[in-house]
Amino acid sequence: MSTPHTPLEPDVVTRLILDTDPWLSCDDCFRLVDTYVESLLDDAGRDLAERDAMSAHLRGCPACLEEAATVLVLAAEDRGSDPEAALVHLERTIDPSGRPER
Amino acid sequence: MTTVGSDSVGTAVTFSGDWTRALSVPGPDQDEAMRHLHLLLLRASRTQVLRMRSSLGPVGSDVVEEIVHQAADDAMMALLGKLSSFEGRSRFTTWAYKFAVLHAATHVRRRAWRDRDVHLDALDVVPDRGATSEQYAEAADLADAVRQAIDTVLSQHQRRILLALVVEEIPVDVLADRLGASRNALYKTLHDARRRLRTHLRETGHLADPDQQAGTT
Ligand SMILES: [Zn+2]
Repeated sequence: MSTPHTPLEPDVVTRLILDTDPWLSCDDCFRLVDTYVESLLDDAGRDLAERDAMSAHLRGCPACLEEAATVLVLAAEDRGSDPEAALVHLERTIDPSGRPER
Repeated sequence: MTTVGSDSVGTAVTFSGDWTRALSVPGPDQDEAMRHLHLLLLRASRTQVLRMRSSLGPVGSDVVEEIVHQAADDAMMALLGKLSSFEGRSRFTTWAYKFAVLHAATHVRRRAWRDRDVHLDALDVVPDRGATSEQYAEAADLADAVRQAIDTVLSQHQRRILLALVVEEIPVDVLADRLGASRNALYKTLHDARRRLRTHLRETGHLADPDQQAGTT
């Protein structure tokens, strides 16, 4: 016997059960975020395991994502790159449905 | 190395030389480097605060500037304390930005939430504020399973932290402040809770095995 509930919204369900492996802490995310955004801007391979862990963390941690996005914007501006394009690249990289850019 | 950027008001921020050495050795170069670093941190702090400005509600530019400067000052202290940990894996400027961005974002979130109560003990059950649209019907089975799993397979602490962060969308640093916990510890609880839910939902057949589910969730 259970009380009927209105269903949780699909995007909330997605975020509740998000796969955020491989594990990375917020402190490690802060430690790595500068090299991570530069690897996105340079499209350099660097350490793929590290990049996967960063992407997983940013998927699951809105605060770190909000901060990483700004570091990316600033670094893009320094390079004369388009910050908006860089942000789209970041979103695609951390997209849980595809994980396309390995 | 010459770095060129601009501060918030468009003033060029340029510095030629080795940042870490200039910042470490007392003298005129250090003073110059400090001045440029502060401008660079102001620019980063202002960028972050402006990106989050809507979360502050109707505040004046004086409040915005106060946060920008406070965050830049805090970031300067934090960065100088960590200077020896800079390994040159990124540009110095990118490394420096993250300190200002972290402090600015934390200040904005704290300010945005300062008049809002956080009651974790109200989060022992999944709040009822879900979807009503017919279009969600096919997702309702998974949503019900998730709701049930939250009730049954998580510890009370995991449940409260998961619901606070994901459903109530309380920022992790704000929640950490209120609970006297660390951001790391709360994120670890969230990570473990999500992993536990996923394991359970695989056992009940609501989620495919990881090997089979690429691109399906
Ligand atoms: Zn985080």
